[in-house]
Order: sequence, then C-alpha cells, then structure tokens
Amino acid sequence: MKRNLYVLLSLGVLASMVLAACGGGQPATEAPAANPTEPPVSNATEPPAATEAPAEKKVATFIWTQEFTTLSPLYASGWFTTTTQQFWNCWAWLYDDKNVPYPYLVTELPTIDNGGISADGLTITMHLRDDIKWSDNEPITSEDFRFTWAMTVDPKNTVNTTYPYDQITAIETPDPQTVVMKFDTPLAAWLTLWKGLAPAHILQPVYDADGTLDNAEWNNKPTVGCGAYNFAEWESGSFARFVRNDNYFDTPAKIDEIFIRFVPDDTAQTAALVAGDADLGLFVPYSETPKLKDAGVTITTEPSGYNESWFFQVSEDHSFPAMLDVNVRKAIAMSIDFASFDRDVNLGVVQVPGSFWDALPFYNDPAIQPYPHDPEGAKALLDAAGWKDSNGDGTRDKDGVEFVIQHGTTTREVRQELQAVAQQQLAAVGIKLEILNYDADLFFSGYADKGPAYSGELDIQEWSDAPAFPDPDIYYWLCSEIPSDANPTGSNSFYVCDEELDALIQLQVTQLDPAERQKTISKINQIFHDKVYWVGAWQDPDVWAVGPRLSGVKFSGVSPFFNIAEWDIK
Amino acid sequence: MFQFVIRRLLQGVVLLLILSIALFLLMMNLGDPIATMGSGRALTRPEDRARLTRQLGLDKPIAVQYLYWLAGNDWTKVDSDGDGVPDKNGTRVGIVRGDFGTSLVTRKPVSEMIGERIPNTLILMVASEIITIVFALVIGIYSALRQYSVLDNFLTTLLFIGYSMPVFFVSLMSMYIFAVLFKKWGLPYLPTVGMFDPQIGKTLTQVLWHMVLPVTSLSVIYFAAYSRYIRSTMLEVMSQDYIRTARSKGLPRRQVVYVHALKNAALPIVTVIGLDLPFLLGGAVVTERIFAWPGMGRLFLDHLSRADVSVVMGILMLVAVAVVIFQIITDIFYAWLDPRIRYN
Repeated sequence: MKRNLYVLLSLGVLASMVLAACGGGQPATEAPAANPTEPPVSNATEPPAATEAPAEKKVATFIWTQEFTTLSPLYASGWFTTTTQQFWNCWAWLYDDKNVPYPYLVTELPTIDNGGISADGLTITMHLRDDIKWSDNEPITSEDFRFTWAMTVDPKNTVNTTYPYDQITAIETPDPQTVVMKFDTPLAAWLTLWKGLAPAHILQPVYDADGTLDNAEWNNKPTVGCGAYNFAEWESGSFARFVRNDNYFDTPAKIDEIFIRFVPDDTAQTAALVAGDADLGLFVPYSETPKLKDAGVTITTEPSGYNESWFFQVSEDHSFPAMLDVNVRKAIAMSIDFASFDRDVNLGVVQVPGSFWDALPFYNDPAIQPYPHDPEGAKALLDAAGWKDSNGDGTRDKDGVEFVIQHGTTTREVRQELQAVAQQQLAAVGIKLEILNYDADLFFSGYADKGPAYSGELDIQEWSDAPAFPDPDIYYWLCSEIPSDANPTGSNSFYVCDEELDALIQLQVTQLDPAERQKTISKINQIFHDKVYWVGAWQDPDVWAVGPRLSGVKFSGVSPFFNIAEWDIK
Repeated sequence: MFQFVIRRLLQGVVLLLILSIALFLLMMNLGDPIATMGSGRALTRPEDRARLTRQLGLDKPIAVQYLYWLAGNDWTKVDSDGDGVPDKNGTRVGIVRGDFGTSLVTRKPVSEMIGERIPNTLILMVASEIITIVFALVIGIYSALRQYSVLDNFLTTLLFIGYSMPVFFVSLMSMYIFAVLFKKWGLPYLPTVGMFDPQIGKTLTQVLWHMVLPVTSLSVIYFAAYSRYIRSTMLEVMSQDYIRTARSKGLPRRQVVYVHALKNAALPIVTVIGLDLPFLLGGAVVTERIFAWPGMGRLFLDHLSRADVSVVMGILMLVAVAVVIFQIITDIFYAWLDPRIRYN
C-alpha cells in the first residue's frame, strides 16, 4: 500500500512539473533572452543588413479592468471607452502631461485674441490643418466635424450623451478647413468638445440607409480611424488589438501593436503585471502598489479631476434636522481623520483634497485647506448647537431626538472601510452613523426608480466625482436640478438650493474670460468650504502601473495617451 | 417514450414562461442601467437620462416591456424620433421568434454577444467536466474497492481539503504559485490570465496552455464532490446480492466491477451530472473573472452589475432551456441504464 502512495505522490509532482514545463520552447510570456524587439545597437536609422532576420514585432500588452462598451466616439460611455479611442481616433486638441491643451487637428486653439472666439462668445471658429487624413487616406475636413455634431444630437441615434454638442445651434463649413460653431449662449466649457470624430464618408451612407447609426458596424469595428493606431480586432470579453497606422498624418508609432486584455480582477491584474504578462495596468488598488514596485513596475498617479467625496444633504424636507446647521456639518467634517485614513489605508499615495477643484490649481486659488481633524473642536460646536447627550446613552440628542444619520455609498471595499472608521470616529463625538451600501446601479438609480440618493434617503452620500475636468464646470447643485415628481431626472441628490451658489454656478458657465471665471469659481469654492456642502476624503487620480519594458511613457489626466506614438519597448 | 418526451417538452414550455415572468420582474428591481452611462467616469446627465429612458423603452410599463421582450414590437408603432408621436413599427421580434433583444449597454444584439462567449465557456467547462469525471471515477472506484486503506484515507483527506476551499482561493493561489512564484524562482511558469500570448497568437497550443490553471482550479472543487458520490454508490452496490452471485460464478473481478457494479452505481451519478451539464453553459463566474477567460460567467456578471436586462435574461433563459432539455435527456439515459424503468 505504501508503494501505491509513493507512486501516486510521485506522479502528482511529476505531472505538475511536466505541465509547467510543456508550454513550448520557452515560457509563453517570457521575453526572449536577447531581446529581438530592441532596435539594432549599431545605428537605429541604418537600414538592416540584407541577411538580418526581420525584427520580431513589438507588442505592448495593456490591461483594462473593464471592457469598453463600444468604440464609437458618439456612443461612448465610461472611462475605458473614451480612453481607448485615443489609440485609433483623434481629438481636435490634446492635453500634455501638465494637462495643458495644445492644437492637434486645428492650427491653433481659438481665443478671443486670435479671433477664433467672437467678442460675444456666440461664435467659435476653428481652422483645421491641411495635412490631416483618415487611415484610408481620405482627408479629414470640416464636413467630418459637422457630421459628428449632427449625428450626436440626432434623436434617431441612441447616443449616451449629447453634451456638449447640444449647446451648439449650428455649424457652418465655408471651406474644408474651416468649422464655424454657433451658440445661443456662450459655452465656457467649449474645450470639452471634439473628443473624437466620426468619418462622414463612411457613416453618412449607413445613416442614409438605416435612418440611424445605432447598428453601424463601424461602432464596434472602426476600420477607418485617424489615430496613431488602426483598429484590428476586438473579441468581446477577451482582448482588442490595435496595429500601427501606416497612413498616420503625424509621427508614426514606434510600437507595432497595442494588445488590450480585459482582466476584471484587481489581484489577477497585479499578478499579471508582476509576472510580466502585461506592460501597463491601471486603477491598481493602493494596497497593491508595494508589491508592484518590488517587481520593477512604476506607479504613476495623474490628476484626473476626481476626488472621493462626501456630499452633504441639506434639505428641510429630507435631511436630519441637525444637518441644516452649518456648524453641525463642520463638526462632522472635523470628527473624521481623513489624513490618517489616507496614510494608513491608501498608503499615502493620495492626500486629502481641500477643494472639489483640487486637481485644477488655477481655479482652486486661493487653495482651500481641508478641515483639520479636531474631535474636541467638533464636540464644542455640537454642544453650542444644542446637541448634547442628555440621556447618557452615548449619542447626542436634542428635543428628544437622537442624533442618528445615514451615510450611503457603493459596495467598493475602500469605501466600506472608510465608513467603518467614520462610524467609530463620529461615535466618539456622540453621533451615531448608520452605514448603508448598494451596488452602483442601485445607488445611482434616479428619483423615478427610487434610488436611495436621489430619493433623499441619505444624509451623507459618498462617491468619486469631478468637475467637467479640465473645465471647472459643475451643475449638480443648481436648484433646478433638485429631483421631484415633476423633475424625476434631477441630479441634485443633495437637495441643496442656495441662491448665491446657484447664481454663481449659472454665471461661470457663460464666462469665456478665464480670469473672470476663476474669480467666480473661487467664490463657489469658498461657499462649498464655508457652508460644508462638500468634504473631500482623498484625491482620486488615475493610477497607472507601467511595466519595466515600456519607455517614453507620459500620461495626461485628460487625454491619457496623448503621446502614445512615442512609447516604445526597451 | 415519444409521448413522454412530447409531454415533458410541453411542460417545459409552460415552466419557461412562468420562469421568464418571475425573472423579468426580478430584473426590473436590479437598478437603473442608465445611471452610470455618463461620459468618462461621470454620472449620466439628467437630460441624457430622460432621453435614453425613452429611447431604450425603459419608460414603458413593466408589462409592456415584458411583452416586447417576449413577442417583439414589430406589430405596434413606436416613437422613433422622440417627438412623442408613434411614427413607425418597432424592429424587435421577441424571444419567441429567436430575438434575444439588444444590450442596453453595448447596443449589440444579445444573441451575438452570447454566441461569442459560448464556445469559450464550453472549451473551459467541458474540459473541466471531463477531467473531473475521469479522475473522480478512478479515485472513487479505487477508494470503494479499498475502503479504509491508507491510500483511501489519504485521498479522502485530500478531497475534503479540496472541497472545503473556495474556488477564488484555489484560483488565486494557483496563479500566484505557478505563474508568479515559479517565474521568480527561475522555473518554467504558467501564464496568469487570458487565452493566449499576444506575441504568439491564438494557436491551439496557446489556448491549451492557458487553460491549465483555470481548468485545474475548477476541477479541484468539483472532483472532490464527484469522487465522494462515486465512492459511496460503489460501496453500496458492491454489497448487493447480484454482485456476490457474479463473484461466486467466477466472473473476473474486472468484469464484476466495471460491467455489473459500475453500471448500477452510475444512476445517481448520472443524475448529478445531468443536473450539472446545463450549468456548464452558464460558465464559471469566479474562475472566468480571475483568469480573464471570456466566457458566459463573466458576461453574466458584467451585465448584471449594469442592470442590462436583455443580456441577463438571455443568459438565464438559455440556461433554463438547457436544464429542461438535459433533464429529458437524463430521463432517457436512465431507461438505458436501468431496464426496469419504463416511461410508457
């Protein structure tokens, strides 16, 4: 019997070794010893000798933790969808690694000084470069811009958002290189336009035939594009491939192929990066960063305008009475030690933002500092507001009402951890915090669907949000956005209606002069802080994990792959 | 037998109809699919919410949405241009006519999305099921014939350990050991995620190579349960009178075990396998997610989290149909295994 046991064990060990060894001549993902993807050592510009074997193609593997839903810029939704377009599609202007815009399809950015923006702000004129072309060599013209706008606002197309194109009332195309946009009211956020183009010469016949672009094959197989790469293949749930665009109008890409693999699990993403099965990952959990750094992976954070935020509900109809008192809200902000949480749980990768515009220093000026962690100060404010623990049960009360409030967010793990910490720290000052978690689609369900936030059920709501980065525009806090039976799609789930704030928000969206707008945003910023409508928990930048094989890598928080053509494999 | 099959099929149709109503009602409470359709990481703007709700038909009463899903809307006029006036017939023909609808998230036909994933799921799940059954038979029969031997006790312990471990733990541990640590130690290592190495391409060898970890992880879990079933049923059958008779007649041990005992012990095993087979179509949610395997399990999970009713309903109904069909096949298989069973 012992013999059988030994035989079985030996077979087990042998089988595992054979399995591990039989994957071909070399491990499937191991880089060859003498890296054949490296340019010739002698002289990179010298043509290869006639007898030299062709270089192995350079393939960079990126991991997307979420699959994009479409490739069409018209139907795009979600970060991964809009970001992927930068490989194969083109924006009118891009943003560099300082998030500064620079012209790409246009000869210069329109300004009032160069006449691109009219004095009344109702006309913006763009002049296109004369050398820009689609990957099938057709020129990119003003007609492509007009077509993109027309299709986005066409009610027969089920696009995910019509903004900001619905602000344009007409587009004139006096010649192939001139685009004239007309507005009824000035659009300060005009830089958020033209993130991607639709080729009129490909899609106009489809629209004419079908009456809609909803089912256009191009949406998921955009064989004609205008980026550094061409779309090659997309296998749902598995991968997408983009190969170098040989007809690219700008500097050709150095890497032959971008291979995007969809890996939804964070731990698996880390394992793949550590094992060298991937060259780029993103949104890696902060807790994984030490392991990645040990494996030679570089962690880069890029401000994207987002901050993990606490939104306070301030409504006589919906909020707990104490939440109407600004000093109580201030006391809550002072009770939570966000800085320690960011240091201990987020491993110091991010800091506590003092402003909703933390990633836009131009508008966060003067820079707002977060409320300090001061439990004793918080207790004093609560005492002064009349909330005292009169019955000795550990929770403050007033007029027979116990201080119990609800905090709701999604099921994301780090948010639940913050909830637990907040519950403990608020209990220490005598506030009982009930914590609630929902799946994202439930949490963000609208008023009509009785979503917990939009129905006014939560005193404090938490998620990550941003202004229309890099534009500072916001709109949630408008009084007209308060949800109701008459306005079921209203986005003001905080039910804040502050006349001064409302007027400033409406003013800033029409201010084309950045200096004037900066002053308005600064006032809004100060109101947010002074009236404690918003408190930041941590900055939420894009977190990139760059493998050791990649070189020339730069990121922008707005157009992340602005210099993808310059990326290379060492 | 023919009448039996027809009767069961008709019962199945009624069952599926009731099931579809129940599932559709549940789906309606999943959440708002439009909530997270905003540009970039932003939430959906109010104007877009209102427009998309109308354009995607989510403003209709639940009964009407169900009817359109079931029987289509090509028989009624819909408002195609958003002016509030129905102007032309709808384009959906309904699931009863083979139209699974269109995904709310990707705008792709659901049948196309499911069709892309089924082969990947079957590759993974069938391989895992075959390995599980073969190994479970070998171990189960061996353990039954040598009950309480050292090897039997050893295997029982090992199987219980395997059975007790959650699949995500087995998957992540095996990935960490055989991919990450093996590489670190300079040993030949397995790939972490995906179906192939992009530098090489999607070849048969590559797919097989990338299947090793997910298939092993899945098999470890199911293998333990199957082998315990086989062991217990074999033990029961081996003590029956007809086995003793067969032995006393001098039949070779191999014939007694594999012809007389195994065939009779197979009935409960066939039941378990028959119940499991349709769920192979549903894929392995956790394993596919961890190993980034593009199967049905991931499709289901991705679209469930986005309240994409058309896709989730499509997958659930497909599995439901498979359950009905495989139950009929299992019943037919019973009759072949046990001549005493008659359906007429």
